[in-house]
Amino acid sequence: MKYLRLVLRSFLRSKRRTVLTILSITVSVALIAILQSILATLNAFANNPDASNRIVVRHKVSITNLLPTRYADWLRQQPEVESVMGLQWFQGVYIDRSNFFPNFASEAEFVNTVFKEEIVEYSDAQFREFLRDRNGALVGKNLADKYGWKLGDVVSLKSELFPITVRLTIRCIFRSKRPADELALHFNYKLLEEGVSYMKGRVGTFFVRVHRADDVPKLIERIDRHFHDAVEPTYSETENAFQLEFLKMMGNYSAIIQMITGAVLVAILIVTANTMAMAIRERTTEISVLRAIGFRTSQILAMLMGEGILLSVLGGAGGLAIAWLLAGAVRGYVGTFLPYLQNFHIDAGTMSLCFHATLAVGTLSTFIPAYRAARRPIVDGLRSL
Amino acid sequence: MSGEPIIRLRGLAKSYYRESLEIPVLQGIDLEIPAGGYYALMGPSGSGKTTLLNLIAGIDRPTGGELEVCGHTLNGLDDDELAAWRSTYVGFIFQNYNLVPVLTAFENVELPLLLTPMSRRARREKVEEALAHVGLTEWMEHYPRQLSGGQEQRVAVARAIVGDPELLVADEPTGALDHKNAEEIMALMEGLNRDLGKTIVMVTHDPKAAHHARHQIHLEKGVLDRTIEVNR
Repeated sequence: MKYLRLVLRSFLRSKRRTVLTILSITVSVALIAILQSILATLNAFANNPDASNRIVVRHKVSITNLLPTRYADWLRQQPEVESVMGLQWFQGVYIDRSNFFPNFASEAEFVNTVFKEEIVEYSDAQFREFLRDRNGALVGKNLADKYGWKLGDVVSLKSELFPITVRLTIRCIFRSKRPADELALHFNYKLLEEGVSYMKGRVGTFFVRVHRADDVPKLIERIDRHFHDAVEPTYSETENAFQLEFLKMMGNYSAIIQMITGAVLVAILIVTANTMAMAIRERTTEISVLRAIGFRTSQILAMLMGEGILLSVLGGAGGLAIAWLLAGAVRGYVGTFLPYLQNFHIDAGTMSLCFHATLAVGTLSTFIPAYRAARRPIVDGLRSL
Repeated sequence: MSGEPIIRLRGLAKSYYRESLEIPVLQGIDLEIPAGGYYALMGPSGSGKTTLLNLIAGIDRPTGGELEVCGHTLNGLDDDELAAWRSTYVGFIFQNYNLVPVLTAFENVELPLLLTPMSRRARREKVEEALAHVGLTEWMEHYPRQLSGGQEQRVAVARAIVGDPELLVADEPTGALDHKNAEEIMALMEGLNRDLGKTIVMVTHDPKAAHHARHQIHLEKGVLDRTIEVNR
């Protein structure tokens, strides 16, 4: 502790240089924290434990090909199955495209059993109203709050996939465990069948809920085997795998984020190393004087390392603080058009990664110049004045 | 003043190597300096006086001969042992003061004491005593940039004596000072030798400064030329 004052005074020797270096680390760590949190959030979306006992069945050729709704009858007969719901991605636009949110034509009577973990809190009376009204809509609380919708309000959605505009009446508002799940809107599938002739008796996907997650693999295999020779063969997968395919449409985002993270880490390593090398080089004589009066090499090394690590840890802490502040903005703005990021937050894993990364940057950037300065012959250092 | 030898040099040699070329700086130095002595090392540039001082102070290593200072044979000590030895037995005074610019006068003087197990209060007492000895009690909270050259060198002297070392080594302590300040520093060092019994070995080019010492050792091309007792 008695050397701390010496470390702190040396640390603040060139305030402008120190502040600028800390700022560069702060910005870099904030960027890394945001990127890594985006990655963690997206990965969490495709690793949703609540979806572990759900299967998505679609046409084997592609998601845009339709399946007969009668397939649901066979699916419901399987002993492992708890509930089955036909669901069609509607891609309805509310007022204009900037108001994006996920909206689905769903078999209304099954929506609260298939999505039991997502549609958690709602009024039974409201839900009955939703089932009763062919034009009824079931919306998440987040979504309703965002647009100021109340029960009884009428909302028009113009589909970008189907030649139809639906006028829906908000009949039920639900709460979820995750904010992202409260951004969804469901309306009665029959409305789509009535409005679009070629959708009659056809649907894009079936969401199948099974009693036990352990039964998922064998049921997937059985479904696809059963419909293998049908005119519309199926392709079944877990809901998480299904979500992952959507995420993959953004490209190999994981590799891109990791590459950017690596590049930013190298950049801050170079910036910090340069700062520390300059800070240490201009103190060559001073370090030799300290050693002459009896400071050991290890003590000098520890003090210099302390400076470098303090520099990077302060920058890292600043970066995490900024990332934490920005997390709200990411949820509020980016999450609006990329619902996956509605759950965006800086998690403990990311904080730990950033903390260890900044420790490593501080250590690596300082060790070589500090070691050289601490090991340099004293007389050489005194001569270099 | 005629104490036991505090410094014993036997056949001391130091060479530097430039690639495979050996450049001898000191050759076969035999010297004894008694405890309480005040010696000025003199000689032309390149004669090896600073190298000899560095060897005596334990901040450089000889390439030959034996070096015994303050009762310790320095040849066999490793870097950490040598550092511990210096912190106990040697006080340094440099030509350019070499104070740490981000520390106050008080903190600069306190530096050698940080290496001891002394309490904060004990350190404070010792530092205040040392600064009082050099007449800078009023300036202890000032930074080196706020002090004159003479005051900076006084702080350096206080730093050298605060740990109560037996030996003070000074490399051109008046080299960066004007005549008046140089005289004051010399008077201060003379007092340290006379009143506190510190052994002082000082490198200087300045005959006036050397005149304050009790003995002058003249080096010539890396060998001991002569030792003169100063008559005052």
